[in-house]
Amino acid sequence: MFSCKKSVDALLDYLDGQMSAEEEKHLQEHLSACPPCVDFLRTYKATPSLCKRALAAKMPSELGQKLTDFLRSKAKKTSP
Amino acid sequence: MHEVETPTEPSDLELLAQAQAGAMEAFETLVERHRDRVFGLALRMTRSEADAAEITQETFLAAYQHLADFRGEAAFGSWVHRIAANHSLMRLRHRRVVKAAENELTGPEFNERGSYVEYPQGDWSRRADEKALDAELGEAIRRASDLLSEDYRQVFLLKDVEGLSYEEIAGITGDSVPAIKSRLHRARLALREAIDEFYKK
Repeated sequence: MFSCKKSVDALLDYLDGQMSAEEEKHLQEHLSACPPCVDFLRTYKATPSLCKRALAAKMPSELGQKLTDFLRSKAKKTSP
Repeated sequence: MHEVETPTEPSDLELLAQAQAGAMEAFETLVERHRDRVFGLALRMTRSEADAAEITQETFLAAYQHLADFRGEAAFGSWVHRIAANHSLMRLRHRRVVKAAENELTGPEFNERGSYVEYPQGDWSRRADEKALDAELGEAIRRASDLLSEDYRQVFLLKDVEGLSYEEIAGITGDSVPAIKSRLHRARLALREAIDEFYKK
């Protein structure tokens, strides 16, 4: 059976579906006996989407306008 | 509120075809649709608004100049994000010389038997689904992301925020897939830890 450390180390492969059947069995056995690791798995899994929301940014409108002006000036010189 | 159908809104693919035929307004609409995400990626990668604004310009200029080569097998969005990722990495490589001191990665600590030294803070994954993202939590995540060393932050942004595949990331960074996976895992652990700390308060 896996230790907590080994289980945590295996989470990426587990969520990617990249574990061997044997390893997955060891992980499942550990999870069924270790609630903290179940919590850890759930929160590890929730981390990317939470970060994605926190890291979304909006381009400030004056920079957006600069971008449009820049592209227009370049487009005059070159055509695609 | 009802979902309002907007059949008049052209798809990226339609706009792309118009832009390829020389319609600048169509290209500008594409830029407007995708500039926030391109800017956001560049901002998180470089941590500089000035650099991010320049990278966004370079990215859409490169897209414009290569419009004719774009066949539309991939979505316009993923195409420009790959360009933006490349441009961000190039800029970071130039900056390497003046790179700031890097921080130790945080993550759970284990004792010699492989058990937690301190148990994690319960299961907050359901609260993470709440519609509005807590402003303080958002700030904590941005801070934790900025604290990751560059190699780790890049991989995390490209995979978990931009949704690129391991192979695409390997193509951009030149690193091996196992190295990318290992960094991604460490970055996720550090960010998970930062969120855990927030919920502990």
